[in-house]
Amino acid sequence: MTYRRTILKGLASILPLGLLGDSAVCAKETPGKAPGRDYYRELGVKPFINAAGAYSALGGARMRPQVVDAMRYAATRKVKMRELHDAVGKRIAELVGSEAAMVTAGATAAMVLGTAACMTLGDEEKMRQLPDTTGIRNEIIIQKKHRYTYDRALTVASGRLIEVESEEDVRRAVNARTAMMFFLKPTHIGDNIPADQYVTLARELGVPSFCDAATTTPPGSNVVAGVSDGFDLICYSGGKGLRGPYSAGLLLGREHLVRYARQNGAPNDISIGRGMKVSSEEYLGMLVALETSLSVSEEADFAYKRERFSLIIEQIADLPGVTARVFVSGSETNELYLDIDWDTGIIKLDRQQFIDALRAETPAVEVRLLLFSGGRIHLSATVMDDGQDVIAGQVIRKVLLEHS
Amino acid sequence: MVTPDYFSDLGVRPFINAIGPYSSLGGAEMWPEVIEAMDYAIKNKARMTDLHDAVGRRIAELTGAEAAMVTAGATCAIILGTAACITMGDEEKMDRLPDTSGMPNEVIILKSQRYLYDRSIRAPGATLVEAETAADIRAAINANTAMLFYLLNRPDDTAVAIPEYVAIAKEHGVPIMCDAATTVPPIANLKSTVAAGFDLICYSGGKGLRGPYSAGLLLGRPDLIQIARRNGSPNHRAYGRSMKVAPEEYLGMMVAVEKSMTFDEDAEYERQLAIVSAMGRNLSAMQGVDTVTRTPGVEAREPYIEVHWDAELYKTTPAEVKQALRDGDPSIEIRALFLSDGQVHLTATMLKEGEASIVTAGLKSILLASAYNQ
Repeated sequence: MTYRRTILKGLASILPLGLLGDSAVCAKETPGKAPGRDYYRELGVKPFINAAGAYSALGGARMRPQVVDAMRYAATRKVKMRELHDAVGKRIAELVGSEAAMVTAGATAAMVLGTAACMTLGDEEKMRQLPDTTGIRNEIIIQKKHRYTYDRALTVASGRLIEVESEEDVRRAVNARTAMMFFLKPTHIGDNIPADQYVTLARELGVPSFCDAATTTPPGSNVVAGVSDGFDLICYSGGKGLRGPYSAGLLLGREHLVRYARQNGAPNDISIGRGMKVSSEEYLGMLVALETSLSVSEEADFAYKRERFSLIIEQIADLPGVTARVFVSGSETNELYLDIDWDTGIIKLDRQQFIDALRAETPAVEVRLLLFSGGRIHLSATVMDDGQDVIAGQVIRKVLLEHS
Repeated sequence: MVTPDYFSDLGVRPFINAIGPYSSLGGAEMWPEVIEAMDYAIKNKARMTDLHDAVGRRIAELTGAEAAMVTAGATCAIILGTAACITMGDEEKMDRLPDTSGMPNEVIILKSQRYLYDRSIRAPGATLVEAETAADIRAAINANTAMLFYLLNRPDDTAVAIPEYVAIAKEHGVPIMCDAATTVPPIANLKSTVAAGFDLICYSGGKGLRGPYSAGLLLGRPDLIQIARRNGSPNHRAYGRSMKVAPEEYLGMMVAVEKSMTFDEDAEYERQLAIVSAMGRNLSAMQGVDTVTRTPGVEAREPYIEVHWDAELYKTTPAEVKQALRDGDPSIEIRALFLSDGQVHLTATMLKEGEASIVTAGLKSILLASAYNQ
């Protein structure tokens, strides 16, 4: 470690920051292969290091190498989409213990297709008719505490949200127009009716239940645990905690409902979800992402992230007034973060100014939004490549020094 | 890393594609350059907004359009473009789609151009208003009209000529969208369609342009493209948030356009023509079998052969032949009969080296079996 530290420090002092940044951020060339085009440079797209996390707006997760490999495999071998969907769906269902499974264009698509499935229940005329809901059940029961940004997806197929706060509310609200009962995980969001009670109630009332568990991974084993909760449908994001393709997600659950959801999506021409296409490489890549997530240990992932963080800390540890601390956050999802703080008496910079300054550098460094970190500076190593750590540390060092 | 043979492990069978780059069969063969660009974008992260801006600008330059965006396919382009014309960027309205109460939501479409995919115009909450003549269109336009729609290269689309249709749109200040999804190659069609004056044009990315499977293009007026983008991913509460486009698809689509513009289409056409002609000669050498080589010029430029046989000699129908080819080993897919006037059509677009002779041998043995089964 000491040896490595010396080398890295030495490297940093020899090379100008920008030069080091470009060579490490841009495409790493495979030995023996001619360097390809540097598209981002051509296009003037500024390179950046993602120390924020697997957000869609920042390009999602770092796909696992196995996933990239599987996507390359599928990109050059054509198969019939229906056969692929059947086979991959079957395999995923086996892996997670659900009756059936499908790959969607993301968690939002899973919500739209799942809602459409519960509304139309396989009736082709109704599927064609959406989003016109004349004669189609479209009321979706949702706990008031579960209203959130992405409940928008429930209205895309023309669902109407009915808010409830108690079991009595649910019983009163359920009628012939009720299509679905919606539930949001993770549990720390809070609820008036807990998951097990909600599932039992939905069964008793004969209403399909749907759980959005999009953000409840890693670990991958949470998918298996989520399925065992007994919701009729449950969805996950593919390009975040599971480190699968960016525009992929999972919809798992009851056989007939997953079948209806498929009918409401691509490549079915008459479906409302025809626009939410999933390529064969994404379909296969999602399967491999899930398989890999279920087989790797969380410890290995944590060790990788701890190493990234320690290399960042090395770059700033000697700065007066600066503290850096690695911590684990979350209840069912475990994420490792690096908290950085400084004495504002020594470094004249508030946290938002710090974030803005990091963004203005080349390469830019994105850290978590203050909105998500309780107002503190948090870095994530989830999407960080080996080598980007030192560069991020140098950028942070430069910004802090400039304001000392 | 040794790549497992995933498809074989999953029991997904390879097949021979003698029909063309259809979505249900996995679309077109991507250009190798596209796959390379996708690899690059997988390795190198960019902020999505930066990437969308830069790629949009580049595709606009390449195509001559004022502005451009990559969508999750042609259907997605139709949906986002329609959503743009309905909401015109009003936050409250965008948040409410597909509920279009209080918004102009009528889309005028020629009756002769009603088709399978006009379904996607309705997805964000539009209603279709049919017209048959220029006078009908003028009479149908009112305060509730959100958009005029035109389907390019429909063989029977002579009811209203493009310049007249575009002129009516301009005259009334209503945006006009053109679905040109399947009109390339030839790539020259793209530039001439852009020059025709439509406010929005939709293309499929994973077919004629040989880009990523779940990618497409929306080209047109900068204000409308901007609004279409706001109605799509990654905006959290957008109607189209679910139609995600991966960074590798975004960049891959740009490279597919670049490559399509410099590619020698005539040579490719001749290559395909040679293959289908050879298949034709091979088949017509059989007693009672006759083939016609077709070289359509207007619609997507793809040569194909039509196979006819003496029904007295071979007691089988095109539908039975199509099914028998599908059930064979290897499975062979040919054009759907409703798209081929009930005839057996063979194309070479997706055929790999050596597959043409497997197709003709398969077809011959099916015909022969029907002759012996009498």
